[in-house]
Amino acid sequence: MESFITRYRNLVVLLALLMLQLMGLAVQVRRTGSGISALEDTDPRGVRLIRLWANAVISPPERLIHWSATGTSFTWSNYIDLVHVRQQNKDLENTIDRLRLEQAALLEDARQGERLQAILGFQQRYIYSTLAAQVYGTSGTDRSHVFYIDKGSHEGLKPDMAVITAEGIVGKVRDVFPHTAQVLAVNDATSGAGVILETTRIRGILRGDAMGQLEVVGVTADQRIKPGEHVQTAGGDLIFPRGLPVGAVKKVVRDPDRDGLVDIILTPAAPLDRLDEVLVITSTEPRFPPQQEQDLAASQSEENAVTPAIKDQVKASEIMAEKLPGLLDPNLPPDQQPLNDTTNPTIAPRAPQPLHPDQYSASSNDDSSAKPDAGSTPAANHPSAGSGEPGGAGKPSSKQEPQSPSPRNP
Amino acid sequence: MSVLGAEFRRDMEIRRYPLLVYTLVPLGALVLQAWLPRVAGRYEWFDLPLLVTVFFALGRRNPLQGTLMGAVMGLFQDALSHNPIGINGIAKTVVGYLAGSVGIRIDVDNHIIRVLLTFALSLLSSAIYLFVARFLLGLAADWNWLTELLRAVGNGVIALVLFPLLDRLRVRD
Repeated sequence: MESFITRYRNLVVLLALLMLQLMGLAVQVRRTGSGISALEDTDPRGVRLIRLWANAVISPPERLIHWSATGTSFTWSNYIDLVHVRQQNKDLENTIDRLRLEQAALLEDARQGERLQAILGFQQRYIYSTLAAQVYGTSGTDRSHVFYIDKGSHEGLKPDMAVITAEGIVGKVRDVFPHTAQVLAVNDATSGAGVILETTRIRGILRGDAMGQLEVVGVTADQRIKPGEHVQTAGGDLIFPRGLPVGAVKKVVRDPDRDGLVDIILTPAAPLDRLDEVLVITSTEPRFPPQQEQDLAASQSEENAVTPAIKDQVKASEIMAEKLPGLLDPNLPPDQQPLNDTTNPTIAPRAPQPLHPDQYSASSNDDSSAKPDAGSTPAANHPSAGSGEPGGAGKPSSKQEPQSPSPRNP
Repeated sequence: MSVLGAEFRRDMEIRRYPLLVYTLVPLGALVLQAWLPRVAGRYEWFDLPLLVTVFFALGRRNPLQGTLMGAVMGLFQDALSHNPIGINGIAKTVVGYLAGSVGIRIDVDNHIIRVLLTFALSLLSSAIYLFVARFLLGLAADWNWLTELLRAVGNGVIALVLFPLLDRLRVRD
């Protein structure tokens, strides 16, 4: 026996290692009721321990590399490459002012929506608090679309928390370690989220395909689904709040497994393959967070301050219109408005006669109109000057076309 | 490719490396494999742990060491993903064993042979991975043959550059 093991030592070790790993795999996979194998929702204790050790070994040098790269980039972009920053800041301030006003306009709709939801017994949950985190690593293989963030259980993270960016949803927290966490991206094949098409209101399940593309599967074929339509979270999965951007429809393909159904390939709203900073939604509440309430209050006060000013402006213009003669008389029918009255054209006042006529006087203008150097006069250089129509320069003012009555000359 | 007899095999050089190289190179491969996809985006057509496994298994000409190296690297890769631990482990264990076994029989100083071998073992690793995931475990593992082919080509190209660099780290008598 000993000689057998010695002779076939390599093969024995190979088979032993393969058997061990196969047994390990057997405890990680369970067969569902429909006969399909699936991963356990939570890792067994031993498996979690291995993941923890691997993370403890790989994470520190990986974070070191990430911080070095980020530090270099930060130094460059924040201390060296600062061209146009002042202009950008000014533009952003203008944008904030504009958005505040827009927010105030939408606030009333939001409040009304809240009231209606309360009546219907449905509570919309708003993103109450988020935690910013840096992405520092990935699984290293395209067969597993997970990535690692630099926040963990010590910062309050828990499994199944939604991870988003300003552009759209990214994934959910899958495994939490003391100072890091593993996030399952939405474009993984094992991922799932309830989504809804923005205009057609068609619902489906979001997942990833073999190439890491986002797709909505199991959708009944519908002619109304067009490329470019936006897709949002539906809110039914209890992970992602409703209404977060997911992506836009790229194309619709036939479901290879089920007749009559289509898969909708999406262009993700968030850059899933180049993530830097993400937000983890740590809690959702059926009310606005304090910061947002403050913003809303600021917007409301800003709108309140702006609205009387606009009203005052309107009022002032109305007073001016009342004091000054207008072009339209509200008491007259349209065909008798002074604007349309051509019977008594306004004659431009004749210029006073000069005491000492010279080459610029009206009489000499008549004579000099034939002379080429007469164009040196300012009035002659500008056809519209003095007469109000092209070619009017140099002509006697009495020959001018009838002009529209001005407020000064009713 | 030069297939050698038993007498020649004994005389063939077994490459040795400092202990630090045995530790840092696999660790570096695992760390870079996890970090580089953030830079490469969707073009992550390489498998550095596989390359390191093949390199040491070929250089040491020892199936046992190749097997162990492959198992460790594969298990680490599995632990960093969300997939069951052991799929990559099995694939790389087999690859390490085969590379160590082949290393006894071929001239591993020839770069072209090593690159071709890396290409073939990369395809084999993908095939074993899919076999275990789909047929043994019954998981719904989607795959794309073009991606696997590109990964094998990428591994071959990187091996062409990486192996000569790692050769410089060996202990010379």
